[in-house]
Amino acid sequence: MTSSTADATAPKGPRGPADAPILELRGLEKRYIGTHALKPADLAFKAGEIHAIVGENGAGKSTLIKLLTGVIPRSGGEIFWEGRPVALSTPHEAIDLGINAVHQEVVLCRHLSVAANMFLGEERTGGGLLKHRAMVREAQAILDDLGFDLPAHAVLGDLTIGQQQLIAAARAATRGTRFLIFDEPTAYLTRREAAQLFALIRRLEAQGVTIVYISHRMEEVFELASRVSILRDGTLVGTRAIGETDEADLISLMINRSIEQIYHKDPYTPGKTILETRGLSGPGFENVSVTVREGEIVGLYGLIGAGRSEFVTTVFGRHKRTAGTVLWDGQEVDIRSEHQAIELGIALAPESRRDQGLCLNLPVGFNINLPVYERLSAGGLINGRREAEMADAQIAGLRIKTPSRGTLASSLSGGNQQKIVIGKWLNHGARLFIFDEPTVGVDVGTKAEIYRLFSELLSRGAGIILISSYLPEVYELADTLHVFRRGALVSSHGYRQASHEDILTRAIGV
Amino acid sequence: MTDVTTKSRLLPQSRLNFLFGLTLLALLLLLWVVLGFATQSFWTGNNISNLLRQGSMIAILAIGQTFVIITGGIDLSVGAIVGFTSVIVSLFLQWNLPIPVAVILTLLIGVGIGLFHGFGIVRMGLPPFIITLATLTSLRGIGLLITNGATISITNDTFTAFSRANFLGIPSLFWMVILVAVPAYILLNHSRWGRYLFAVGSNAEAARLSGVNVRRIIYMAYVLSALFASFVGLLLAARIGIGNATQAEGWELQAIASSVIGGTSLFGAVGSVHGPLLGAFILATINNGANLLNVNSFWQRIITGGLIIVIVYFDQLRRRRS
Repeated sequence: MTSSTADATAPKGPRGPADAPILELRGLEKRYIGTHALKPADLAFKAGEIHAIVGENGAGKSTLIKLLTGVIPRSGGEIFWEGRPVALSTPHEAIDLGINAVHQEVVLCRHLSVAANMFLGEERTGGGLLKHRAMVREAQAILDDLGFDLPAHAVLGDLTIGQQQLIAAARAATRGTRFLIFDEPTAYLTRREAAQLFALIRRLEAQGVTIVYISHRMEEVFELASRVSILRDGTLVGTRAIGETDEADLISLMINRSIEQIYHKDPYTPGKTILETRGLSGPGFENVSVTVREGEIVGLYGLIGAGRSEFVTTVFGRHKRTAGTVLWDGQEVDIRSEHQAIELGIALAPESRRDQGLCLNLPVGFNINLPVYERLSAGGLINGRREAEMADAQIAGLRIKTPSRGTLASSLSGGNQQKIVIGKWLNHGARLFIFDEPTVGVDVGTKAEIYRLFSELLSRGAGIILISSYLPEVYELADTLHVFRRGALVSSHGYRQASHEDILTRAIGV
Repeated sequence: MTDVTTKSRLLPQSRLNFLFGLTLLALLLLLWVVLGFATQSFWTGNNISNLLRQGSMIAILAIGQTFVIITGGIDLSVGAIVGFTSVIVSLFLQWNLPIPVAVILTLLIGVGIGLFHGFGIVRMGLPPFIITLATLTSLRGIGLLITNGATISITNDTFTAFSRANFLGIPSLFWMVILVAVPAYILLNHSRWGRYLFAVGSNAEAARLSGVNVRRIIYMAYVLSALFASFVGLLLAARIGIGNATQAEGWELQAIASSVIGGTSLFGAVGSVHGPLLGAFILATINNGANLLNVNSFWQRIITGGLIIVIVYFDQLRRRRS
């Protein structure tokens, strides 16, 4: 695809002259207390183009989306819609202009039908009553027209996440939308669903809708976009026509720092084996054999849904294994509950820290001490002084930025929250740590600190299982890297043994 | 940074709780002063004793209720447990069981009811509202069935004399509040199980992944609530000298109201022991004062409702600001 496509299609498109920006940002910025989430940015979206935005986690992509959809107020700068300055201070205003977004997580009502979701807020009524059948018929016509092959009368929650994502896209596409933002839309899609989504996006492009496409996946960016903008640490570092750039160019713009600066790694000397699985099978994975030794980081890489998380949660005792054995210190063990896993010396830092990792409306110190209260108390009674000292020592040691140990965990930044989720295990004395996507939504500086925590754990003789969908992270940190695809362990590599391309190919399975 | 010795506690919002407690205490004292001026009989020994007796039973229920609410649950059955256990202890005394045996057996039945609630929530996956609503209605039914709807009189004078007794000039019923509140305070504020109650109410999943046995903590909360309710059943039976399954109707709502007035959040993870105590005695004072002022008892209900709205609203404002 070339950058000239935008001019070619314009019959139903915007009124302005061809190539005129539909939306223009001048010096747009967003500041939070202590951080500059988006530094002043100038960017013009041409009417009817597909404009990709790339950048690492925490580079400012979500901030930009939230500003464009009126979810958060800007701290400075101007936004022009078809040449007119607009406030964009509420989501309502954005929708009225024709700006819509399809988010990574589906934000629809799971208990309502597909048709009800598609018409949510714009229901067809007759005499004040809902016209159910008309809506189902109309919704089905739209879905059929898009070639989605999904039933409009089905309950949304009964569909797969990928199918729900398609419904969300169809919904956004049929509401007079003229500027549509896709935020990592393919994260949970199968290849077939992704192809259907791309067809929808091309169709919208042909209708003159401007598309902003945010993705980690370089191949998608090159397949779809006509131009691409790069964000790094809150700065818009450049915009390129897709024909004038390549993957290496984009990556160097996205990162622009030496990998060694972030990925701190001490030389690894294999210790004795802590955990071994032999032909372990369970829900979502089969016949997985993995060994974790003292001082070793074992990386698990694969696409979402490849079975990595299911494998570790089964080891952690949440699911029942269906076949195979687990050995702990060379002894066969039958871990049937998470409590038992923790007693054994396994700690798990879950992927979603808000849902699973933290007691948000309780103090920082409380969260830090939660795994070790047994040791802070005698006969059940807590030694208040030791509790406070322990919390303060941890806060200082982990460099958690908080006014005091009594501050509620909810008021900390994502990176500091993540330091609690990981750091609370330091005093616990666990020997095997499972980290599931530990650096999602965390800025680069905090990432480096989290990796240093890893080193500290390893130096104490612990072993780490690191799950990540971010290849450079597992690639640079893992002493042994296992690649998962569709519930199977498809290949294993030593530290930096295979190339990125090789690993990606195995994970995708092309 | 903070100083370890002066602020060594890591309880959720402990400083705010303290301020809020002082505010409630001031409100209670204000009510007492106003009633002292407005009526001649308020500051008589008889009336104060009466007030303490009235407030005591709800106060004990409110403490148990608070444990449950901190975990994010609710116990609607406490009023029914009071009525039911008053029948049970009356029966035991009718069978001429010695008082200690009758008391212990009744309390054990309370523990059993609490275990059943825990079982329903943890094992059957029922919402706390539903399982305790079910026992609310069925316990009253069982109590009526046992007695065939009749009232059992307690002829054991030693048992009933207890409720009228004073110790150091203070009604024995109020001493029972202290007997319950002190261990409850230690449990909630100074033991790890107290910490776990808060953790479960804040984020049960995070607590579980941190090694907390969430199921056991939920069992504990409902067992304590039912145990305290059966204890109140004993006190009520002693006070009115009868066992009747329809007694204590609506006490669950008074207990919840006391807890909420005392700063407990129905969303879980916020609560104390002193809050519900003050809440219970504020409600008791309003009822007592309204009686002395000859206010229509229907009005008492309306005033109580209004008070809940006002106090909880100000509590919300305070939380939002912090």
